[in-house]
Amino acid sequence: MKKQWISIANFVVLAVILVLTVFLFWQVRDRPSMQILVGVLLSVSYVAWGIIHHMMTGNLHPKIVVEYLLVGCIAITLIITVVWM
Amino acid sequence: MRRFFHHFFFPHQSNNHRAKALHPDAMLVYILALALFNLSFRYVHQACPSVLGYATDIRVSELLNLTNKERASLGLSQLHLNGKLSEAAAKKARDMFTQGYWSHTSPKGATPWEFIVSSGYEYSMAGENLAKNFSNSSGVVSAWMASKTHKDNIIKPGYHDVGFAIINGILDGEETTLVVQMFGTSEKEDLVAQKTETVSLGMSTDTAGNFLAESLTQPTDASKNLVSSLTSVINTPKINIPTITRDIVFIFLGLLIGILIIDGFVVFKKRIVRVAGHNLAHIMFFTALCVALMLVKRGMLL
Repeated sequence: MKKQWISIANFVVLAVILVLTVFLFWQVRDRPSMQILVGVLLSVSYVAWGIIHHMMTGNLHPKIVVEYLLVGCIAITLIITVVWM
Repeated sequence: MRRFFHHFFFPHQSNNHRAKALHPDAMLVYILALALFNLSFRYVHQACPSVLGYATDIRVSELLNLTNKERASLGLSQLHLNGKLSEAAAKKARDMFTQGYWSHTSPKGATPWEFIVSSGYEYSMAGENLAKNFSNSSGVVSAWMASKTHKDNIIKPGYHDVGFAIINGILDGEETTLVVQMFGTSEKEDLVAQKTETVSLGMSTDTAGNFLAESLTQPTDASKNLVSSLTSVINTPKINIPTITRDIVFIFLGLLIGILIIDGFVVFKKRIVRVAGHNLAHIMFFTALCVALMLVKRGMLL
């Protein structure tokens, strides 16, 4: 039960992080270099969230860390692709 | 084929209960493919810009027409295309490319007013709107109208004349289409305008460009050549880079989110226990990324 509450709280934190970074992305819409920076910030925050979340729920595994890192890298590559188009 | 499809998109014994498309090696392939896609696009664009490039269709005649339409909708007088202001706009655009800046003031401190004065326009009131990397004339004017400071220039009742320059070049290492719009009011020019008013009345969108060339007979031949080459930028590559990039990126993200939903649903239904990241978190992250990428636009104002 406690794990479930931790999970819910973590997902609320993730939602807040995502909404805030998307808002920040919109704020710097006229500066491509800043957009890339915010995109990197979004990805790093997500990887950090993933690691902390799995650590708190007691199921952190190197495979999971690699998965979050790769997801973060995909996001950065996509942001660079679109912003530099 | 069916087995491959199942193996790639659905969690199954064959893929250790995780869709193969979500395995780390598959993700690594996506990253490498995207990087290769970026590099190859840049290479092909440089080698064959007529095949892979930026579709652009911006014309002075349309910009003038659309600007005057916006003014007319508010009951304001029409702006007259002025050769001297167009010459000032052309000088400004060239200066931005030669000195490599995106600003109202040059790195050497030259203001828009200096370009206007050096072109022989004696202003009592003047203004400047800048835009870069828009694909068409209506996009430029709509963006200006959506920005308070630019809109203020367009709908200022005190302005009588306007000049434009549209130019393609390399700014900060990036292919750029610049649009410079200069506004002005001059008592001296008003006297000239009164004489030419019969010509400008009833001027259609198609003839506006010719009117610009005619009005340029007043400045020097050199400035005439400078401005007449900046009345439009029309590029029609076979493949438009922004369109194809967006299509590929959003289709990829859509597929990824779809696979995550299917994978998560099957694992939840079958109560499979496995070592993997949270699908729901990945879906939330990629959805946020989609929203962020939708906010990216090429066109910019200053």
